[in-house]
Amino acid sequence: MNNALLLLAVLLLASSQILQKVGAARRLQGTHTPREWLRALLSPELVGAVVAILVGTALWLTVLYRMDVSRAFPFLSLGTVAVVAASRLWLGEHVSARRWAGVALIAVGIALVAST
Amino acid sequence: MSTEVNRWLGRSLLAASIVLSAFGQLGMKAGMQELHTLATHGVVLTAAAWSELAPTIEWTAAGLAAYGLSLVCWLAVLVRYPLSYAYPLLSLAYVLVYIGATHWERLAETGSALRTAGTLLILAGVALVTVADRRR
Repeated sequence: MNNALLLLAVLLLASSQILQKVGAARRLQGTHTPREWLRALLSPELVGAVVAILVGTALWLTVLYRMDVSRAFPFLSLGTVAVVAASRLWLGEHVSARRWAGVALIAVGIALVAST
Repeated sequence: MSTEVNRWLGRSLLAASIVLSAFGQLGMKAGMQELHTLATHGVVLTAAAWSELAPTIEWTAAGLAAYGLSLVCWLAVLVRYPLSYAYPLLSLAYVLVYIGATHWERLAETGSALRTAGTLLILAGVALVTVADRRR
């Protein structure tokens, strides 16, 4: 149950990044005035991104509060991998083998830094 | 704007997102620590105790402000860089938080060889992501 909730939190946080990127590319790019920025920030993509980050963070903190922290680390690393995988799959970004290797090192590093 | 200026602007925004996000985490942690100290000392939160609460509020507010600012910078970063390039670099904030949490006397958390090794792995990973394929 806790694991499923943590997974959901990670997916929500990763989705928020994807939505932020889509919103930045579709709505923010080429804007110059505060009025245009405000309109971009109120777009469905960016409002969705904020909702996803708020719900994801709340869920993450709730689960973390009642479970052993060390068991949550792999999920933290999973977040980084998930965002890069989603950029590749849904945003069509090219991810070189070297970038993947870098992401793998970072994921292991995060798990270690977060360990007790 | 010349491409050179634009490139430096992009890098500065990326650096600002990372640093502000780390400051945000450290500030919020300092604020929560103040709150915890108050709670364990059983301070009764009457109107007279507002001054006792001031450090909690100040640190939490500073942390939230830094975090909010980092999100704004982050959106500007995403206009300029692919997500699969920029997002892994955000993990440099873990390294900064680790250094801050273990060296800032207010938090004074204890580090470990394993955790330090983790920061080195993150740095190596970031080097691979940035140096290797000259972005985009």
